[in-house]
Amino acid sequence: MTAIAAPSRTGAGRSRTWLTIAAFLLPALLLYLVFVIAPIVQAAYYSLYKWNGLTPLTDFIGLKNYQVALSSDAFTTAVGNNLLIIVLSLALQIPFSLALAVMLNRRFRGRALFRLLFFLPYVLSEAITGIVFTLMLQPGSLVDGALGRIGLGGLVQDWLGDSSIVMLTLFVIISWKYFGFHMIIMLAGLQGIPRELEEAARIDGADRRQAFRYVTLPLLGPTIRVSVFLSIIGALQLFDMVWVMTAGGPVNASSTMAIAMFKAGFKNTQMGYGSALAVILFLFGLVVALAYQRFVLRRDVDGAMTTGAG
Amino acid sequence: MAATASADTGAGVRADRRPGVRFGRPTALGAAAYVVLAAVAAAILVPIVYAVLGGFKSNGELVSDPISIIPKVWVFSNYTDVLFGVNAATFWRQAFNSLVIAAIAVTVTVGFASLAAFVFARIAFRGREAVFTLFVFGLLFPSAVAILPLYILVRNLGLAGSPVGVALPQAAFALPLTIIILRPFFRSIPAELEDAARIDGCGPFGFFWRVLLPLSRPALATVSVLAIVTTWNAFLLPLILLNGADQWTLPLGAMNFSTEYASDHGKVLAYTVIAIIPAVVFYFFAERQIVGGLTAGAVKG
Amino acid sequence: MGSRRRIATLVATASIVFAACSGGTPATTAPSTAAAPSTTAASVAPPSAGAKPVTVEWWHITTGEPGKSDFQAIADAYTAAHPNVKINITVLENEAFKTKLATSIQSGQIPDLFHSWGGGIMAAQADAGALKDITADIASWKDTINAGALSIYAYKGVQYGVPWDMGMIGVWYNKKLFSQAGISGPPATWDDFLADVGKLKAAGITPLAIAGKDKWPSMHLWTYLVLRLGGGNALAQMVQTGNWNTDACTKAGAQVQALNNLQPYQPGYAGADYNTEAAAVGNGKAAMEVMGQWAPSVEKDQSANKTGLGDDLGWFPFPTVAGGAGAPTDGVGGGNGIAVGKNASPEAIDFLKFFMSVDNQNKLNSDNVGLSTVNGTEATVKDPNLKAVLAGRGAATFMQLYLDQATSPAMGSAINDATIALFLGKSDPAKVCQAITDAAATQ
Repeated sequence: MTAIAAPSRTGAGRSRTWLTIAAFLLPALLLYLVFVIAPIVQAAYYSLYKWNGLTPLTDFIGLKNYQVALSSDAFTTAVGNNLLIIVLSLALQIPFSLALAVMLNRRFRGRALFRLLFFLPYVLSEAITGIVFTLMLQPGSLVDGALGRIGLGGLVQDWLGDSSIVMLTLFVIISWKYFGFHMIIMLAGLQGIPRELEEAARIDGADRRQAFRYVTLPLLGPTIRVSVFLSIIGALQLFDMVWVMTAGGPVNASSTMAIAMFKAGFKNTQMGYGSALAVILFLFGLVVALAYQRFVLRRDVDGAMTTGAG
Repeated sequence: MAATASADTGAGVRADRRPGVRFGRPTALGAAAYVVLAAVAAAILVPIVYAVLGGFKSNGELVSDPISIIPKVWVFSNYTDVLFGVNAATFWRQAFNSLVIAAIAVTVTVGFASLAAFVFARIAFRGREAVFTLFVFGLLFPSAVAILPLYILVRNLGLAGSPVGVALPQAAFALPLTIIILRPFFRSIPAELEDAARIDGCGPFGFFWRVLLPLSRPALATVSVLAIVTTWNAFLLPLILLNGADQWTLPLGAMNFSTEYASDHGKVLAYTVIAIIPAVVFYFFAERQIVGGLTAGAVKG
Repeated sequence: MGSRRRIATLVATASIVFAACSGGTPATTAPSTAAAPSTTAASVAPPSAGAKPVTVEWWHITTGEPGKSDFQAIADAYTAAHPNVKINITVLENEAFKTKLATSIQSGQIPDLFHSWGGGIMAAQADAGALKDITADIASWKDTINAGALSIYAYKGVQYGVPWDMGMIGVWYNKKLFSQAGISGPPATWDDFLADVGKLKAAGITPLAIAGKDKWPSMHLWTYLVLRLGGGNALAQMVQTGNWNTDACTKAGAQVQALNNLQPYQPGYAGADYNTEAAAVGNGKAAMEVMGQWAPSVEKDQSANKTGLGDDLGWFPFPTVAGGAGAPTDGVGGGNGIAVGKNASPEAIDFLKFFMSVDNQNKLNSDNVGLSTVNGTEATVKDPNLKAVLAGRGAATFMQLYLDQATSPAMGSAINDATIALFLGKSDPAKVCQAITDAAATQ
């Protein structure tokens, strides 16, 4: 059903329409401008100062905060960690979610139960998930004990204390939490693909794998791209779970951009520097959004996210 | 690449000779697939079961025998301390805070977003798509970016430490997704209804309030549920705006509890289990809405 | 009905926007979280019952008992003697206190008396104009307080607060585990210390507990090494000038590496927080920790049976280092104090004097709330370990405030990060000293 054109014939009617539009739209728009848009602009402004959030804003230092950030080991490690999670998510988590979605797309006994269960971690708070896993991963706790019991005791590591594997440990837990979410999205996408298409390919002689690869997968493209996009944005924002589990440690080995920003602003009272980190984080998000917009949305048949037609 | 040949095999019956798939009747999956699914299910359940049962164990037992499932000695004090005893006041206070913030945030979100979505869906005006894009923009970058200035802003407004100070920004950040989900629903209400309402003397708001919203109950339920889940589990924003155990929400309280009782694993597990019960219960009731809303928002735009 | 709601919404949102547009300047729309600044009474002496009513806002962080009740009792006693004075106490947890104070200072509503650790944060507050110069106000009774401790609450020659608790970091050890390992007595020198670590390892006992996640416990150990090697003046110079590329710093780093090589730390130390470290000691799993005067109570609290080590717990001062320029009596320490807000009334300062009186301080001592800085209260400290700490403090010729308090929060963070990297084997002495110097340069 297309939008209804409301402007009426008389002048009074037209201004009443604008009043209507304003009245309906302004609450959301104002709230959004004040609490979402304005802070981002302010972040850019604060980032040009050296400021502890306490005294008046007087110490203008231009782009110095950015220089420090880009040459800081701690920050580059954080950026690297965000990128690592993105790469791992795209390479491992998304295909895994897809595979599960394909499996759950068939009707079989117990399917609803599996679906219910797999999605459950999504509604748990990241912080609480982090706490439980931290306890499980303590030396000598559940994970170590289980490995020992099945004879794989040699694999025991300092899961959260060893800088070389802490990010991998975190990735596994992040996947635990979110694979169900991506699976549900893929499932919805799969269910939107008419079964006749794959059947037709099968009748034409394709085996199951080929049918999937050449028929289903391309049609699933938009869905996968949405998943990829959400995954990247989520990976860039990583904070809650990491903060609870390692606070970015040991020694920044598991730091993320959001953690670096939080520490700078709230632990080191370096509001200016923290704001610069926020702007850098924003730029990452912007690049991803623009890339998504240009390379993905234009291609997709739906492309419904930003266009209003249809 | 869309094949259009039909799969009719004569006799009007659609049948598929592939093993394991038939229409209308649940069948068995391949054994390998079942194993995988079971393994994944186990991976999900293990931490939860560990937490639930761990809360009933003494610390000594958790340390000496971490993988035993059933506690040798059932310790109830961990759970009772949190629910009724020493830590109860803190816990219930934090649960209350979470509830208040969620209530305010969800009301504001759904209220403001449905008003805006109505305009986006049903009234054309110059610049409409630009404004809509502005909202979508909010979905496209990490919300953590705004945290530092948001803290200063809320502090300057005098709202630091108050539920409203947390609820308003959370509502603001929830607007984009809510509007995106509501817009297509609102669009699908037929124009005839609007015409009829106008003839009856209803202005746009009357139509909105008396016709559109009641008809959109499923969509409103969906976005409400999504907003509740997001707000309830929010961590970073409450962390910077709320101070002290009596202001915190449950996730913050849980984290503080876990550091305060760092060596009392049983107690920490009990606290976290109780803290997630609302979310889990809510999930089992509202799963359909959550899933439906996400897929609508994500897939169909 | 509809239009009224619309207008209400518009007005509400508009007011938010207007408030928001004031940007970084303090808003006047804020409902005050502290009471209004107390009115000044005419007289300086304790006012009689007919005098104007005065309210004193006091924020502290002693959440545990019996300290919390003791503080309340002191306030009540003062109010009983001065009926026109009302003392509003706000008790907050550590982090909550820091944030709330920052908020209040920014909005200009500063409490009259509030908790302070002295050092860099207090200096920043003074620079922001939040504190009252009490040099003259306390001139008549300042000699009752330990001079070294008092100096930590002064900045650029001006007194801004008073300390009520000051201790010294030392080494807390498990006597039973020591004798199990065949160690007869606590080590006096660093070489003896390392040898003892070896003996404990040989006996299958974890020698030392540190906290990789919280970072500051090991930072104190490193600070002591620098102090022992370079001496008090050199360390003060390093803090002052920000140049840490000194001999003492690199040598201290080398000693940390020597310690690391013995692998003395508890399992999971890299991710442990302080409470976990305390639990390790309190449960008898680790033989030593380098910690301040609160160690016994935290160890007890975090131990499995809430009993701690009891009589098995001992204390010795940090060992001397051969060839070091520092005196064996030098110490790293800190404690708690009260700073005075710029709007505080004479009554608030009078209450402060009452708080610091010998009788009240004796009570705090005997309740183990702190180690009082008031001269003449030493006798009321009963615990033998705390008596030893007190003796160490009394003998100290030089006292360095914890480095993450003495400097700014950002510097403290940098020092913590640099030193923990060293303890985790991720850095080397020269890099650590350079990193701290670099951080100081950006201050």
